[in-house]
Amino acid sequence: MNRKWYSGMARTEDWWAVWLGLTMFLASVSSLWGLDLTGWMAKPNTWVWGKFSFDAVLKASGKQGWHPVLSWLVTYLVFTALTCLAAWAMKFDLKRFVAGWTVLFVMTWIIWIIGQEAHFKVPVNEFAKFGLSWGLSLGGGFSYLLALLVGLIIGNFFKGTAGFLSEAAKPEWFIKTAIVFLGIKIGVMSMEAAGFITELVITGIAATFVAYMLFWPIVYALGRRVFHLSRDASAVLASGISICGVSAAIATAGAIRARPVIPVVVSILVVIFAMFELIILPGFYTAIAPNQPIVNGSALGLTVKTDGADAAAGAMLDELMRANAEANLGVRWKEGWILMASLTTKIWIDMFIGVWAFVLALVWVYKVERQPGQSKVGLMEIWHRFPKFVLGYLLVWFSYITIASTGPEIAKTLHEAATPVEGSMRTMMFMLTFLSIGVITDFSKLRGMGKLALLYAIALFGIIAPIAYAVAWIFHRGMMPPAL
Amino acid sequence: MTADLEVRLIHDGIKWVAYHQSFEACGHTLLDLDQDLTRCLLDTQLFPDNTQVTVFMVFDYNCIPTWIRQYAYHYFNRHVRLNLKSPLLKGQ
Repeated sequence: MNRKWYSGMARTEDWWAVWLGLTMFLASVSSLWGLDLTGWMAKPNTWVWGKFSFDAVLKASGKQGWHPVLSWLVTYLVFTALTCLAAWAMKFDLKRFVAGWTVLFVMTWIIWIIGQEAHFKVPVNEFAKFGLSWGLSLGGGFSYLLALLVGLIIGNFFKGTAGFLSEAAKPEWFIKTAIVFLGIKIGVMSMEAAGFITELVITGIAATFVAYMLFWPIVYALGRRVFHLSRDASAVLASGISICGVSAAIATAGAIRARPVIPVVVSILVVIFAMFELIILPGFYTAIAPNQPIVNGSALGLTVKTDGADAAAGAMLDELMRANAEANLGVRWKEGWILMASLTTKIWIDMFIGVWAFVLALVWVYKVERQPGQSKVGLMEIWHRFPKFVLGYLLVWFSYITIASTGPEIAKTLHEAATPVEGSMRTMMFMLTFLSIGVITDFSKLRGMGKLALLYAIALFGIIAPIAYAVAWIFHRGMMPPAL
Repeated sequence: MTADLEVRLIHDGIKWVAYHQSFEACGHTLLDLDQDLTRCLLDTQLFPDNTQVTVFMVFDYNCIPTWIRQYAYHYFNRHVRLNLKSPLLKGQ
């Protein structure tokens, strides 16, 4: 229940993403006082089959001379301590959380290391460097795909294990933390190419607004007129599929006082269809428009309906498109810009949900179900629905720019200390997200949802995806990430 | 907004239910629930007849499955103003 503006600061995943993100950002800022509080972070190396050793596959981000296993253990201990503190504050079952977290963490790193094997990862022009005669050139995307696949196998074929892991498999929490870490990266990008970032942000807002004004009414009308759904079911479904998935479905259902079963059913559809989008869209966009990286990224942000799946799909698209461009277009784009296009768009959508829930609540209470002496709608609803991790993302972004703008030496020191946070820590959270999304996705839940699932599929692939792509193309066509 | 009474609100899959230590009101729609709540308040005499009572309904988030709670942690709460007019007074 939300009674005060600060409700939930210690007990929600949204806020804990902010606290974890800020903790690591402050750890990197401490480098300005000569401390090294981020160099312990482990990171995987590209390695070649037949030449496996810990030194070959792992290293510490900054601590020269540390044994890679020590770096990995410290990484495990730091993140276990922080996530357990959060889990305790959020009143999770701590024993189950620690056990599940440990298994997820170990699996994540094993998959991540496997995905770094040169035959899977390196581009064609680096085959000679690693002594390869063949390779798939999938970039870092293979690690993500593998994590997703392993997660889906567990979630659908080993349901007992999935149940055991579920206390710790929190893709939305992991991805929101990663997005706060990404605030550093967009800060770095803003220092490198302020004009491009400004254009990306402004066109992102415009594209979001245009798409949003089209999506909701079309899907609502389809639900009412073609599928003859009730007003509340149509509204909840329209919000879930048009805006930001589960959060929007629940916000809308709460705003219009719908029976709880409606957002629950829509949420199941959102989560399962997000998985299809995550599997299909990055490869599809890479194949049909290999020379439109920012359009593709933005179209993903407008189409994929959970933060976890959107960021995960954006990361995969970033890897696939860069690998493809290097192999077939002869250009090396900088990492992260396509992902950023996807996330920037999604974040505007997320920010808008509070306002939309408020507007819907007004319409429902004062027009659709008007009754004498009925409940009032408070402006605080906007704040309660506002995604708090966005505050962390914006705070880190602007703090980074502010600090780095004070001088080149300070900028260099901060950049070095922040690299493990926006690099390997962020990628690790992405990997945990991919694995967790798979673990909590149970396709058998679609059974018995025929009419709603059909409407969802038609609306998603027949309306949302094409309009999203057209809008993204109008606003972003021709925009290119900086080349190396 | 200050409330005269706080109740726990759930949906059991069929109807809305408002729980209080002194009564249990229910209804298929929220309007039905409010009417039944008015009846319960009149029956239990927690407040004098012919007064206006503000009831705060706190939605019990346990109605939402655990796995969804990571996406959203708030459903809705309601402030409702009820006129406690007994059938006798209403008829006058």
